[in-house]
Amino acid sequence: MSLLSLRGITKRYPGVTALDAVDLDVEAGAVHALIGENGAGKSTLLKVIAGATQPDEGSLLAEGTPVSIKTPRDALRRGITVIYQELALVPYLGADANIFLGMEPAHGGLLDRRGMWRLAGEALRSLGLTIDPSTPAARLSVAQQQLVELARALVRDARLIALDEPTATLTPHEVDHLFKQVQRLKGQGVGIIFVSHRLDEVRSIADTVTVLRDGERVWTGRASEKSDADLIRAMVGRAVEYERQPPGRAPEERPLLEVRNLTRTPRFHDISFTLRRGEIVGLAGLVGAGRTDVARALGGVDRWDSGELWLGGQPYRPRAPRDAIARGVVYFPEDRKRDGLILGMLVRENVTLPVLRQVSRAGVVRRDAEGEMAQEAVEGVDLRPPEIERGVRTLSGGNQQKVVLAKGLLAHADVLVFDEPTRGVDVGAKVELHRQIRALADQGKAVLVISSELPEILALADRVVVLREGHLAGELDRAGVTAERLMTLAVSTT
Amino acid sequence: MKIQLPTGWRDWAGKYGVGLALAVIVVIAALSVPGFFTRGNITTVLLHVSVNAVLALGMTFVIVTAGIDLSVGSVLGLAGVLVAGTITSAGVLSTFGVVGATVLAVLVGIGTGAAIGLANGAVIAYLRVAPFMVTLAAMTMARGAARLFTGGVPIGFPARGDPHFDLKVEGLDALHLIGGGRIPVPGLPRGFPVPALVMILLVVVGVFVLSRTRFGRHVYAVGGNEEAARLSGVPTRRIKLGVYVISGACAGIASVLMVGQLRSGGPDAGLLYELNAIAAAVIGGASLFGGLGTAWGALIGALLIGVLNNSLDLLGVQSFWQEISKGAIILLAVLFDVWTKRNGTGNA
Repeated sequence: MSLLSLRGITKRYPGVTALDAVDLDVEAGAVHALIGENGAGKSTLLKVIAGATQPDEGSLLAEGTPVSIKTPRDALRRGITVIYQELALVPYLGADANIFLGMEPAHGGLLDRRGMWRLAGEALRSLGLTIDPSTPAARLSVAQQQLVELARALVRDARLIALDEPTATLTPHEVDHLFKQVQRLKGQGVGIIFVSHRLDEVRSIADTVTVLRDGERVWTGRASEKSDADLIRAMVGRAVEYERQPPGRAPEERPLLEVRNLTRTPRFHDISFTLRRGEIVGLAGLVGAGRTDVARALGGVDRWDSGELWLGGQPYRPRAPRDAIARGVVYFPEDRKRDGLILGMLVRENVTLPVLRQVSRAGVVRRDAEGEMAQEAVEGVDLRPPEIERGVRTLSGGNQQKVVLAKGLLAHADVLVFDEPTRGVDVGAKVELHRQIRALADQGKAVLVISSELPEILALADRVVVLREGHLAGELDRAGVTAERLMTLAVSTT
Repeated sequence: MKIQLPTGWRDWAGKYGVGLALAVIVVIAALSVPGFFTRGNITTVLLHVSVNAVLALGMTFVIVTAGIDLSVGSVLGLAGVLVAGTITSAGVLSTFGVVGATVLAVLVGIGTGAAIGLANGAVIAYLRVAPFMVTLAAMTMARGAARLFTGGVPIGFPARGDPHFDLKVEGLDALHLIGGGRIPVPGLPRGFPVPALVMILLVVVGVFVLSRTRFGRHVYAVGGNEEAARLSGVPTRRIKLGVYVISGACAGIASVLMVGQLRSGGPDAGLLYELNAIAAAVIGGASLFGGLGTAWGALIGALLIGVLNNSLDLLGVQSFWQEISKGAIILLAVLFDVWTKRNGTGNA
């Protein structure tokens, strides 16, 4: 009888089916690995188990009995603990207080602080962590915080622990230690769900592997039954495909932007590649590989530690986005609502914000010139309807992204860096945006596109730079790029 | 029950609602408060609101960036005693003459305010300390400095037997032309008060700066979404610095108006004025979350409070009731603000 079984779990979000009739069995005293590329549904699955979201269809069985897990509290009561990649500790509270958060032992309403300290210490020591249990979480390393979360699961007598990419930010030594603890918990009969991108780790620790792809369970079995290449093929076989946007011109020979040995510890190390006019370069990799960090450095948003950028044969050291824009480099952030647009402002005001100087005289904005410029820009990106005196907040996701594009058109930039340009946009609008991005490249701009969607990279990019865990994993040209090759570079194998 | 109004109506109400509210209150006062709707009384109201309106104007710039300036009342106090000290200084008066001393006093007032604003803005923008705390500290320090400078007593009208009595009175009289002067206007028996004119001019400049200049656009951008503004190349720190300088300078101008009017600068002048200024700005439509607010709104907010106080005065209502009613108006304004924005134009 399985500890926890999922039967036909389906979860739909507007425009996407995150989980499609997924079955999964977690056994006591065994490690079940979940692998799949970005957006395959791993996170949603964990959320369902944790009670953080409700499936639209399907059922959950605990040792054969149907159960419902409506809230995270229900999950905890059933002995299920999910440890997310973004650790969930209260930074200013001690490890002990964090461990007992929500289930503090008390006598008549008074906290039993001494008891908490003692029990937390025992749990931490059993995981090989010898710290003062009252140390604030903020002062612990990521690996230590992870162990605190594990200790929290222990004091709750967790019977199923799910770990979401626990090794992504750990050193090899810390990974060894974590795996020893996982083995020990397994020996005590705890069921473990282990989400990872690293096939070598999956092979070393998992008893069973499930591959998810586009919300569907593709394969379940023993890792030893399949080669790395087979596993990768299972992960990337694709249902979705976007219309390919072929280049309308040959790229210039001479590179426009050169990235040389760019390093920012601990985000990325020794990254080198070039961008050329008339070409779209895809920056691919799994979430957390450092793609956004590299892109932000190019756009002057973040500094870097060492390495060089050269733009048009000149050194390029932007200290702020302003410097980058002045040199013709514009970064379009991933989260347009948070970082890309000012929702309370009009389309016109958003579009002209980076270039207000061009339509001002002595600091005074010339309304006519500004309106003309904005109108031209929104027509250029085919905003529908092309109204500029409209609040950006009232536009659809696809149209908002077009406003972002229009901003880029106006900036007269030579280098455009798009971070997830079509996230949260429906399929039709995606293809439309792809067309617009290609048009920009055809106009002679150098374009870098980050996307977590392999099909998008395949449809757009003339060349793909792949990152893995902050390092350059390789570069594929148009002729050589396939989903499998890309994924092979992006995931860590033995 | 839920009342559904078209979005357009809500937007319209959000934009013009406060102006409408002011108009309604004026009409009610004109009809029911004896002595309200006379030329003399209206000019008195304008005179009385001028100091608060000028403070509220500067405050609006700050609030639009999602900041707050608690120091303006104390800055008014400190700048005021320095203005009074300058205009009653025998040395200054005899060196620069009465006109020169007046100009100098005005510059001292504005300069003091702008300098404190610069300090506030620098700490907020470059050291990234919360505006509330920075300006709270400035508020305390400026008040202390004002008391230190004066020894706790107002600076103003010279004592009898002062060797430079006539000269000092001449200086105060010159400054009074700014703070209490009247411009002859046909039909207005006592003329139009200079501070009200200053207020109107400043508001017009404020409207222009906020709605027509690059700086103004950047102020809204910073308040609407600071990170998006930064990524768009807006010099966000300089903009933040700028709004606190403007707010400080407005407090300096207000101090000149006040000292000129009273012929005296007291160390406790302007106590709690920052709260009135915030109230006027918010009643006028500025959002404490940033991104919203206008210079007209600051004026209208100040007028609304002023008209209300004046009407209640004329009706002989106790000042305690005036405070309660002012509080109720603030609450109503904020509720109104929430109402016009909710569901109006999509989610946040």
